[in-house]
Amino acid sequence: MMKTEDLISILVADEVPPEPLRLSRIAAVVLMIMAVAVTLFLWRFGIRDSVMQVMQRPVVAAKTLLPVALCGIALSFTLMQLRPGAVRAVRLRWLALPLAVAAGLWLWAFSTLPAGVRFAEVSPFSLTECLGMISGLSLLPLGVLLLMMRQGASVAPVRAGAMAGLGVASGITAGYSLFCVMDNPLFYVTWYGVAIAAITALGALAGGTLLRW
Amino acid sequence: MTNREAEWSALLRAAMEGDGRAYARFLGLITPVLRGIVRARGYALGSEGQEDVVQEVLMAIHTKRHTWDQSAALLPWLYAVTRHKVVDAFRRRGTSVHLPIDDYADVLEAEAVPDALAARDSAVLISHLDARSAAIVRAVSLDGQSTAEVGARFDMSEGAVRVALHRAIQRMARLAKGME
Repeated sequence: MMKTEDLISILVADEVPPEPLRLSRIAAVVLMIMAVAVTLFLWRFGIRDSVMQVMQRPVVAAKTLLPVALCGIALSFTLMQLRPGAVRAVRLRWLALPLAVAAGLWLWAFSTLPAGVRFAEVSPFSLTECLGMISGLSLLPLGVLLLMMRQGASVAPVRAGAMAGLGVASGITAGYSLFCVMDNPLFYVTWYGVAIAAITALGALAGGTLLRW
Repeated sequence: MTNREAEWSALLRAAMEGDGRAYARFLGLITPVLRGIVRARGYALGSEGQEDVVQEVLMAIHTKRHTWDQSAALLPWLYAVTRHKVVDAFRRRGTSVHLPIDDYADVLEAEAVPDALAARDSAVLISHLDARSAAIVRAVSLDGQSTAEVGARFDMSEGAVRVALHRAIQRMARLAKGME
């Protein structure tokens, strides 16, 4: 008959030292995979013409900078969750700022654009391209990130998975935006948002299973 | 940092460096405290069920000890791991439990309760291992044989015995949380 004290003896006898949890290594690997995915995509399909010139328009720059901000906040939060009880330097509520800016852009565009052009860029092709590319490019880095996150110990696996999905999809979206010529906030806030939300939901679902410990 | 936290931190830090005696002392010190928490919150589980939860928490602490940042305070990490596993264990048994962090911290800081439940049979975990793994666990951990002796018996190197033992314990942890 084994007692709890015997279990302690068993645990103590486990001499294989635990590999330290290196958050910076997880971040580096995932960022590298995201960078490779975006680079291959842009190498194959090309960066839009005059990208530096159009980026000087705030409404176009926001198309890239907002996903970058979401990516930075979400991935930082994701990694910090892997250490139970750790002091969090990044707060979830910080996501409210880029999301509020995105919502403001959408409302501004809706109120200033004539009714006929508000959703003129929406077509089955443009939606398929936008949603398909962002989602497709996000899958591999999200999978790798979730698997690496299993080294840690998130006390909220669903939330951790969701934040991983949000971070990865936002980062991929920032890269995709260098290709995309749809500069109408009604288009890109809506459909980038849908793609990011879908990957966030996928991350939450997968996190609930993969990140249990 | 309290004296208790300083002592526990030093012990776990030494354990992470391979000091088995320090690790045994650390686990021995926290076990009665964990038992007190589980007992206080889980009377509906009965004494055997409570001790199962204690063992699950111990295995979680063991398998996730590398997530403690040794430059940070130990107790917040210990609170978070224990709280998560206790809530999870109770949820899987169909019993909800509420562990407010302030209340929980008080319990962890309290004196350990008498250890009356130590005889809980948990051989069921070992019985789920394959024959060789179970024999290695019993030989090394319970009978106190050296890895060299066990290696000679099973025609394995010492390193292979250590790895087999490690994998067996990881499997026991998964079994304990119902994932296998």
